[in-house]
Amino acid sequence: MYEYDDFDADFVRARVARFRAQVERRLEGALTEEEFRPLRLLNGLYLQLHGYMLRVAIPYGTLNGRQMRQLAMIAERWDKGYGHFTTRQNVQFNWPRLSDVPDMLEALAEVGMHAIQTSGNTIRNVTADHFAGAAADEIEDPRPHAELLRQWSTDHPEFQFLPRKFKIAITGSPHDRAVTRANDIGLRMVRGPGGESGFEVSVGGGLGRTPVAGRVIRPFLPAADLLPYVEAIVSTYNMLGRRDNKYKARIKITLLEHGPEALTARIEERFAQLRREFRGTDRQMLARIRRQFAPPPFEEKPLAPYEAARAADPVFRAWTDTNLTPHRRADHAIVTVSLKAPGATPGDATSAQMRLLADLAGKYGHDELRISHEQNIILPHVHRADLPALHAALRGAGLATANIGLASDIIACPGMDYCALATARSIPVARGIAARIGELKLEHEIGPLKIRISGCINACGHHHVGHIGILGLDRAGVENYQITLGGDGTETFAIGKRAGPGFAHDEIVPAVERLLRAYLQLRRDRRETFIETFRRLGGAPFRAALYPSKDKADAA
Amino acid sequence: MPLEAPLPPIRERVAELNRRYRHHSAAAVLEHALNDPLVGPVALVSSFGAESVVLLHLVSTIDRSLPVIFLDTEMLFPETLAYQRAVSERLGLGDVRVIRPDREALFARDPDALLYRSDPDACCALRKSEPLARALEGFDAWITGRKRFQGKARAALELFEDEGGRRIKINPLAHWSPRDVQDYIVNNRLPRHPLVGRGYPSIGCRVCTTPAGESEPPRAGRWRGSDKEECGIHFLGGRAVPGPAPKTVIVTDTGFASDDWTGPWLTPEALERAGRGAALDIGPETDLGQLAGHLEALAMIRVNFPAFSDGRGFTIARQLRRMGYRGRLRAGGHLIADQYAMARRSGFDEVEIAADLAERQPQEHWLARADWQQGDYQSRLREGF
Ligand code: SF4
Ligand code: SF4
Repeated sequence: MYEYDDFDADFVRARVARFRAQVERRLEGALTEEEFRPLRLLNGLYLQLHGYMLRVAIPYGTLNGRQMRQLAMIAERWDKGYGHFTTRQNVQFNWPRLSDVPDMLEALAEVGMHAIQTSGNTIRNVTADHFAGAAADEIEDPRPHAELLRQWSTDHPEFQFLPRKFKIAITGSPHDRAVTRANDIGLRMVRGPGGESGFEVSVGGGLGRTPVAGRVIRPFLPAADLLPYVEAIVSTYNMLGRRDNKYKARIKITLLEHGPEALTARIEERFAQLRREFRGTDRQMLARIRRQFAPPPFEEKPLAPYEAARAADPVFRAWTDTNLTPHRRADHAIVTVSLKAPGATPGDATSAQMRLLADLAGKYGHDELRISHEQNIILPHVHRADLPALHAALRGAGLATANIGLASDIIACPGMDYCALATARSIPVARGIAARIGELKLEHEIGPLKIRISGCINACGHHHVGHIGILGLDRAGVENYQITLGGDGTETFAIGKRAGPGFAHDEIVPAVERLLRAYLQLRRDRRETFIETFRRLGGAPFRAALYPSKDKADAA
Repeated sequence: MPLEAPLPPIRERVAELNRRYRHHSAAAVLEHALNDPLVGPVALVSSFGAESVVLLHLVSTIDRSLPVIFLDTEMLFPETLAYQRAVSERLGLGDVRVIRPDREALFARDPDALLYRSDPDACCALRKSEPLARALEGFDAWITGRKRFQGKARAALELFEDEGGRRIKINPLAHWSPRDVQDYIVNNRLPRHPLVGRGYPSIGCRVCTTPAGESEPPRAGRWRGSDKEECGIHFLGGRAVPGPAPKTVIVTDTGFASDDWTGPWLTPEALERAGRGAALDIGPETDLGQLAGHLEALAMIRVNFPAFSDGRGFTIARQLRRMGYRGRLRAGGHLIADQYAMARRSGFDEVEIAADLAERQPQEHWLARADWQQGDYQSRLREGF
């Protein structure tokens, strides 16, 4: 795992000191609120519905036990004893006081963390595949590149005042677990003609009010050219992106307005100039970073305890069926710990839970933890022989919910409960659906299903890429929920299609239930998943299930 | 007195009360109001401000058990809180109700007590209107100290008012002049609010010059000077004194200096026409390609930032340097001290700022970033940056 060197450590500390001074200057009046706003945003501080919210970056979703314990401490000392893990690998504290924020940032700096560029019109925290460095299907660990991008984008003098926010996601595997196509720049690792590794570069993806899939502008970019190429994209966007209308300011609109050919031509031209400025220093840095991401010393030991527990304990077996992902070593597993127990708020973790997970990572997982955009916590390197003990410990703490990838593993944004922009509640809907699925006891029967909920058109809950997406809107002061079907955030990326008229708050859970029941009737066999059935049959039979009365009327 | 029959609508009662008491003195109005069967339960709402003591004293001579509602917005001067206790005790008021904003609501909507800066109306709603509405529930009428002399909007103030058909407002002091107020205080040897002597003619929340709905006190300037945290946004727009002639300050790594460039500035078009020139003024829309042939001969280029949040100028600076421009490069328009390092790292030599910004963000704020070469990630990732 990447450890800060003196440069990083000094940088983050100086930044905290500067922010402390900025807060003081704001209070003295040397900075107007208008001037202070972008500065606090560049340091992750939002003004929300209830007050300030501090968004802390977990670069490429990776952290160690010490860092996790510090998050637990911060939550306890300056917040309400919990943190909220977001869909972009950040953790949010919803109740800090402005005067405490510099101290919180200092506490983060102590463990090599920060809140830099987690908001504002700049390059945001770079997200990565949460199974990076562990997944069996991976070409190469993408995190050294992500760390290189972090360093390059941090305080980049040209790019702190872009037309709009700018998101980059990277995956080292052909299976896209980082929703790269929904980012301003998506980097998917591929092998070049000579077997060397490089990236397929897509630009202009994004959800929000105009959901579009990123467009591939470079099918293969040699890994060595990553920084100049990405800089060429952002530099071109900085000049061309619209600044007169914030709804048209993202690069996806620039791409539409200028046309992909013209935009790509300008990017390539700028790339040719910029390439000369990167003459290997960046690659030396990459090599240095790479050494720090060396795999941990894996242990060799018999698998007997694992096999025995699976045979003896059906609860353990169910959990291993859903919550494990193949590790690049067959005797290890990637463990996803669900933060979506029945009744829980998706993404919330208490300080006690964070500490327990830090302890378990120390004991069974080479001290490494990951945060997924699906708002769960991952122990990426666990020997299978240790799984029974790990499961028992998780179970004791109510963290052994076996629902990863299933219907109740819902992504939901904070919605009306916290977010100033929200038009509807999303967390209560997520809880309602999870509770109903629990009552029906059909979750395992239904199998893999991604339900995604956003509390407004900004789509932080990624509803467009949910197999079932739910968007909460405000219709004349009343919450109304729109359903989209068929979305997909992976390498078979698709934007979900709107099913029809929305549903009232008390109708949405029954509506989802009708969809699930329809799927169970429509599927070819138990192996055909919801999304496969949807792709085979299209939306019509699902819409019929959603709007039964209309269907009858049509028939009549 | 117990009321058997429901009272007639407020509008009718107000008209009748005004007719009945038109020619009465404040004391008589008060006394009648408290006993008139046309008026249900009454409360006095007092800010314990500069002139409040008059009405409080009048009430204390009639009925010391009258509920007195005091709104503690939790943004008041400590002097006001102390004064409230002292006056209540001195006058023997038996039912002073200190009303505070709702805990939960406060926690939810203004946990840092900074709402007044971003949205004073919302702050007043949270800290004044909502608590007052709650406190007045169950009262048929309330007494205020408003006076006709307090401004145009109050010039026609009646003794009794219909508050939206919900409640009666009683203004016993409606006809009083400032002189009457002062005489009453002096003649009855009433304690004064300690801040009156310090130049506050009207006392509301600590952080705001005037309580919402009251006229701005004449000595707002002095108040403002005592605490720069007040709702500054309101004053920026309303500043009466025109600023000094547009003079600018040049910021470099050694601090502030006056502009040493006295020659003419050309636009790109003028440069194109003239074919040559020394100093060029450009904006973010300028096509840099068109400048290529001129860069060698130019001594100075100023890149104007239309707003500090418009970062195009940084890319323009990088690009000009990349194109081989080696002359002086200046950032003009609006940049703030916190962007100085970005400007220098992007290739600017200096920043030109307006005099009023230089006053608000003095030299030391800019010099704090004269260390811009430190801690620059670009310097360890690339050459020639
Ligand atoms: S989707 Fe809307 S409601 Fe949900 S977090 Fe984003 S902005 Fe807030
Ligand atoms: S006067 Fe100012 S501080 Fe007081 S309630 Fe109104 S806005 Fe808030």
